[in-house]
Amino acid sequence: MSLRYMVPASKFKRYLPKDYVELVDYGPFGKDYSEVGVKNMGTFKELVEEHPMCSGCWMAYYIKIIFAALPNPENTVTIGTAGCGRLAISQAAVPFIYGNYGDQNAMASGITRAFRLRFPDIKKDVITIAGDGGMMDIGFSMTMHAWFRREKFTTIMLDNEVYGNTGGQESGMSIEGAVLKMSPKGKNFGKMPAMQLAITAGCVYVVKMSPTNINKSAKAIRRAIFAARNLGPTFIHVYTSCNIEYSIPTPDVFKDAKEMEKGRFAFEEFMTPEAKELFAVVESKKKREVS
Amino acid sequence: MYYVAKVNSEMCSTHNCNMCTLYCPEANTLMYDKDPKHGNKNGTSWVDEDRCKGCAICVYVCSDLLNRDCIEMAMVTTE
Repeated sequence: MSLRYMVPASKFKRYLPKDYVELVDYGPFGKDYSEVGVKNMGTFKELVEEHPMCSGCWMAYYIKIIFAALPNPENTVTIGTAGCGRLAISQAAVPFIYGNYGDQNAMASGITRAFRLRFPDIKKDVITIAGDGGMMDIGFSMTMHAWFRREKFTTIMLDNEVYGNTGGQESGMSIEGAVLKMSPKGKNFGKMPAMQLAITAGCVYVVKMSPTNINKSAKAIRRAIFAARNLGPTFIHVYTSCNIEYSIPTPDVFKDAKEMEKGRFAFEEFMTPEAKELFAVVESKKKREVS
Repeated sequence: MYYVAKVNSEMCSTHNCNMCTLYCPEANTLMYDKDPKHGNKNGTSWVDEDRCKGCAICVYVCSDLLNRDCIEMAMVTTE
């Protein structure tokens, strides 16, 4: 559970896989955020490796931002569940735990508490990353109850408004009237108000956004992690289109995200007064060294 | 046969820009070399073709948003 475990003995280095050695030499571990943050993507070895997500997938893009924005990747654990997202999340050089069918937030509750007991002197970040189905349909009760209990971890919902991994069924987050491959008559009820639910349930920092501005996206992720460390549950509701199920040509995926930003995924940010005070302190310090 | 992005590094290095690398959905694929290239002050983006999935979001960013036309999609064959 320390960066030292990752560094290979110099004589052994030549026999290790190239990707692993590159990650140790050129990855973001132990480096300052100003060197390896999202602004410098493309100049260092990113934590996410090759994955089987579709060409032009905006969810893969947001997952890439999550890992590049982590304030402390060597002390982070991610938890996911069934869905497209875990295909990429599990390919990152950050410990990943697979929560079975929507129980990611229940698992994160236990893991966060265990970390605080086992490593009282180290800030360990726990982040649950799941799709709209895993978070708001199948894992709804576990998500809500983790928030009601004020568990200190970050919840990120990758909302593509469909069950993309299983052929295009409607989800609670699909909009009313959405016609999908496995819901040909159109959805009969509206989109669940996830942001309002999170605020009501006691999240201290909640954001709804479409990731079109990389700095804004990274700032929201980092704020959510800092607030979760110190104050309570945080929630990010992010639009990550499914270009397959919604038939978006891949070159237009970014354009679609920008259109969504003008519509139902317009940037909204909620924070409690305590969170606001915390961010004022945190953002005045050095970006990486924050406790 | 694969459809991949190709960066014209001579044109790319005339701009102080790495916007395409910031919007590529694939990790470690569209990279940026900071060393000055082709007698210009700037570095250039480059594509790891083995990893590129050919989505052309970089072309949208470079051509449609920035009007710089430094990236095009091309077929790569095994021959």
